[in-house]
Amino acid sequence: MPGMGQMQTDPNAQLAAAEQEMEMVTDMFARINDLCYKKCLIQRYNDEELTKAESVCADRCVAKFFQINREVSDKLAKYSQANQ
Amino acid sequence: MSAIGDCELTNASEDFQPDAMFNNYGASYQEQRMQQLMEQKQMKDFMRMFSNLVGRCFDDCVDDFTSNKLNEREISCANRCTLKNMKFNERIGQRFAEESAKMMEDQAKMAK
Repeated sequence: MPGMGQMQTDPNAQLAAAEQEMEMVTDMFARINDLCYKKCLIQRYNDEELTKAESVCADRCVAKFFQINREVSDKLAKYSQANQ
Repeated sequence: MSAIGDCELTNASEDFQPDAMFNNYGASYQEQRMQQLMEQKQMKDFMRMFSNLVGRCFDDCVDDFTSNKLNEREISCANRCTLKNMKFNERIGQRFAEESAKMMEDQAKMAK
């Protein structure tokens, strides 16, 4: 991801960077949860176990989300570079 | 008896040296702070998840307002909803951890 490659030597900045990363990760997880819920849990609560279809959907949903994440960040990086 | 009088008044600014904290006790102070931050994050996360879960289950299970008490169907729907969502959340968590690890590996490879 652009801008994340710098080594922080100042401990305060290190802490802030770590906190920011944690924030980003939890936000990402919450987002995945919400999106994949909407796309995969369509059969509402006939049963308390996940069906096979829902489980597989969840796996694929997470995988695709990360792929989209990569695609978008690559594209964004290229775009930012081109526009400097 | 003067407890205060018995204390030696030290020069506070000499004892509290932020640089020293980071240099001599650097690792443990940072670890503590990280620990605190993580606990706060986890608590906030949990509250948010709980709040979302309640919203979802209400949205999906309750649509009958001929009474102000939940009927049997709605109660069992809410129970199933909670369990199903928790299991779903777990599964996503597992896959998320795997994909995150993969992503970090890729980033490390690219940085070389």
